[in-house]
Amino acid sequence: MLSFGVIAQILWTSLATSSYFVLSAMAFAVVLKVNRLFNFAQAAVMTVAFYAAYTLVGLLGLPGRAGFVGALVASLVLSAAIEILGLRVLRRRGASTMFVFIFTLMISELVAYLAMLIYGTWPATVFPSLFWPATLVGPVAVSGWDVPAVATMLAVCAALYAFLRLMRPGQFMLAVADNPDLAELYGIAKDRVYLITMLIAGALGAVAMFLYGTRAQVQPTTSIDLLLFAIAASVIGGIGNIWGAALTAFVLALLQNASVLFIPSEWQGFLLYIVLFLAIVLFPQGVHFRKISQLFHRLFPRRLDNTHPKDA
Amino acid sequence: MKTLLSITRRALVLGAAIVGAAGVTSAQAQDTLRFGLAMPLSGSQALYGQDQVKAAQWGVAEINAKGGINGKKLEMIILDTSADPQAGIQAVNRLVSVEKVPVFITAWSSVVKAVAPIANDNKVTELSVGANSADIAKLGDYVYTTYPLADIDITAVADYAATKMGKKKAAVLYINNESGTVGAQIFRDAFTKAGGTVVAYEAYDPKASDWTGSLLKVRAANPDIVHIQGLVSDTPQVIAQMRQLGLQQTVTSYSAVYNPKLIQQLGTAANGVIATSLAPDAADSPAVAEYVQRWKKEVGREPNGLPYTEYLHDAPYIIAAVFKKMEAEKIPMTGESFRKELMAMKTFDLPLLGKFTINANHTVNSPVYLMEVKDGKWSQLALVH
Repeated sequence: MLSFGVIAQILWTSLATSSYFVLSAMAFAVVLKVNRLFNFAQAAVMTVAFYAAYTLVGLLGLPGRAGFVGALVASLVLSAAIEILGLRVLRRRGASTMFVFIFTLMISELVAYLAMLIYGTWPATVFPSLFWPATLVGPVAVSGWDVPAVATMLAVCAALYAFLRLMRPGQFMLAVADNPDLAELYGIAKDRVYLITMLIAGALGAVAMFLYGTRAQVQPTTSIDLLLFAIAASVIGGIGNIWGAALTAFVLALLQNASVLFIPSEWQGFLLYIVLFLAIVLFPQGVHFRKISQLFHRLFPRRLDNTHPKDA
Repeated sequence: MKTLLSITRRALVLGAAIVGAAGVTSAQAQDTLRFGLAMPLSGSQALYGQDQVKAAQWGVAEINAKGGINGKKLEMIILDTSADPQAGIQAVNRLVSVEKVPVFITAWSSVVKAVAPIANDNKVTELSVGANSADIAKLGDYVYTTYPLADIDITAVADYAATKMGKKKAAVLYINNESGTVGAQIFRDAFTKAGGTVVAYEAYDPKASDWTGSLLKVRAANPDIVHIQGLVSDTPQVIAQMRQLGLQQTVTSYSAVYNPKLIQQLGTAANGVIATSLAPDAADSPAVAEYVQRWKKEVGREPNGLPYTEYLHDAPYIIAAVFKKMEAEKIPMTGESFRKELMAMKTFDLPLLGKFTINANHTVNSPVYLMEVKDGKWSQLALVH
């Protein structure tokens, strides 16, 4: 059963399907890092993004590009509205973290309910067809969806990295994430940074949902399930660590796909929660990959000596 | 004195009005025979519920247009359940306690189950029309179904695959919830009994969006046929991934998959998929063809869930037939006597479904239409009795 072909197929499909998990995990993690907010309203933004694309492409018959732009615009508008009309007002009123959290939760449920009323619960996809032709690359079947999805994920990751490291608004975001009060003393407008962060998360969520909706069927509560995955990845990847969340999302997608080969398939769904439970109990501050590396070196000092003689 | 006269006059007018109204109500009650219909008219399931109600309204109108029941009109009292058990309980309580109907129709398994105690406690007959949970046959003396339950079509497709198509090795892929687990067991048992072997038996998570691992296990088992017991939302995706991974075997499934959307979503990858239908199609019956034509003419489209609407259209005919017998024999219009007469009659000749029998064990016999996707269209593969 465990041939090279099977392992290669699992690895490739996991990489491709992790694209929407990685992007939604990054969206959740960036708001958690900068705005310090468990933003459940991200599910609402993703739902609106999907149904905007579905309306334009699936119902009105416009091309996929129009659907993508529509999803992006709809998610940016809703993200800005949530920040300006909701979160900013709550901050000014000194609302507690719990209250803000409940507000975001309420928004996600409200939008899911509205989507149900408008579009019903019949599953929908952006394009009428779900089938993507596949090509065999050696023993691995690569579908027409896989390559653009992986390329989009990598491009978005690179763009976000460049934005945070090289552009001033990105650097302001990191400054606010480190110490919001100190950043404000240095003249950084916190509210503006919070708005930019929400917009970036909205855009990431829109891309994630567009990718998901072009491959799988979506119902009004699908984005809430995706968000749970994003939360798990953010918690395990280290709260406030965007790249940790992204890497964890990929590992979790791989784990879920590969696990079926080793455990009864009905346990596949539980696996995410088992991993999340263990991560919270064993690593309450999240898994710090650097610390794991240090622990590994401490446990195996000889190997460390052999590998890096100069460090000994 | 003037005030007293005025009050007396007012009281008389009011009294006359009440007596008059009572007389009208009494006259109406004598002229009509009533039953209830509790269906989702709002909420997420309204898309289907509204079409099913319309079909039942057409059925009632046709009966009344042909003279009603021994000269009396058949009246259907429609209430909304939103496909929600709590709203269903409120609607059925009203039908039983306020409207005092001897029989009511409802659907959606969760609602059918939730209102069953009300029917049993008040000795009012409940007809489930459209729900297919196997438990419905065991909900009590006063709960009957006119829709075939889950085991009928799955057994038929498994038996057909093993005996008529000559498939020896089957893989079963099922969603890990109640309907998936029960449906998969029915297929496994029926296929094995018919002489086949189940070489892979894989569950998948209801929230899964990728099935690569499970499908690779299925591929390794090298089956002749793959049976998918999933939902309308995930089955097309599983088939798409199957084909992408090079599994070209015939796929069988059940009634949930029989819809035009599957072909739209899968294109040529849908060819060879076999599903079931529990009601005749336009091609099978001139009456159904005329019924579908009426939908297109009056509503501008085909009904959502055609087979279900056929059952709803014909359900008032069953009630009318029982009422007719009760009226002719001057049997009191109670739920208890309705149930007794329903069981005494058992077999009905219905306009769309044809000859139809309700069994004493609270199930129905129904032919199963095996439908196959051929050249991008659903066409009938076989009719299994």
